[in-house]
Amino acid sequence: MLEHVGFTDVRWGPQVDVFSGSKHESDAKEFDTRGVTFAGIKPSSEGASRTNN
Amino acid sequence: MLGYDEPLVDSLPRGTVDSFAGTGNPFSFGDLRPGETVLDIGCGAGFDTLIASRQVGPSGRVIAVDMTPAMLEKTAAGARELGLANVDCRQGLAEELPVDDESVDVVISNGVINLCPDKVAVMKGVLRVLKPGGRFQIADIIVHKEVPQGAKDDIDLWSG
Ligand SMILES: C[S@@+](CC[C@H](N)C(=O)[O-])C[C@H]1O[C@@H](n2cnc3c(N)ncnc32)[C@H](O)[C@@H]1O
Repeated sequence: MLEHVGFTDVRWGPQVDVFSGSKHESDAKEFDTRGVTFAGIKPSSEGASRTNN
Repeated sequence: MLGYDEPLVDSLPRGTVDSFAGTGNPFSFGDLRPGETVLDIGCGAGFDTLIASRQVGPSGRVIAVDMTPAMLEKTAAGARELGLANVDCRQGLAEELPVDDESVDVVISNGVINLCPDKVAVMKGVLRVLKPGGRFQIADIIVHKEVPQGAKDDIDLWSG
């Protein structure tokens, strides 16, 4: 989705279990919920992005 | 805590830390640079806003957007307490960012986009406000299994 919107150099950090020890830990486990970090860049030249519509 | 430097967390106002509701550390992709203009989408009580404000310094600026006035007031109070004059709090939606086109160097966000029904609209807005060559650094949560409607309708599961 991120590339489709028009970002480049999309990177994902490691997935982490952010709900461990919280009151919703079992719900989070049931739906396999993970904390993620991600980053990307807006291309500097017009033609570099795939689509923006 | 989620990879944040402990002395850094300890240097923030107690109220800001106690109200932190992030799911990760957007700064894990690297610190911000002095002079940069930053947008924090869904700033909440301002935990990341205040960190960003210090990183960009007086020549930089942090635009803190949240849909909830009470959270924006907490962010503004934290900035006042730390004497940070480069924080600009704006009420608005992640899907309709109250920010000019191509005016921002870096977009950060922490634990917010999972709450937004139209995630594509949010990311299109991020693309719109970023300057060419600008970047986003986001922490959030994802689910790997389909969540049934009954769970989606359970308000208790939306809050901490
Ligand atoms: C889980 S909290 C995270 C707050 C903050 N980023 C932090 O790390 O502590 C989510 C925040 O996003 C805000 N929010 C949720 N949906 C939003 C939307 N569609 N537009 C703007 N703000 C939104 C809420 O008011 C709340 O302050």
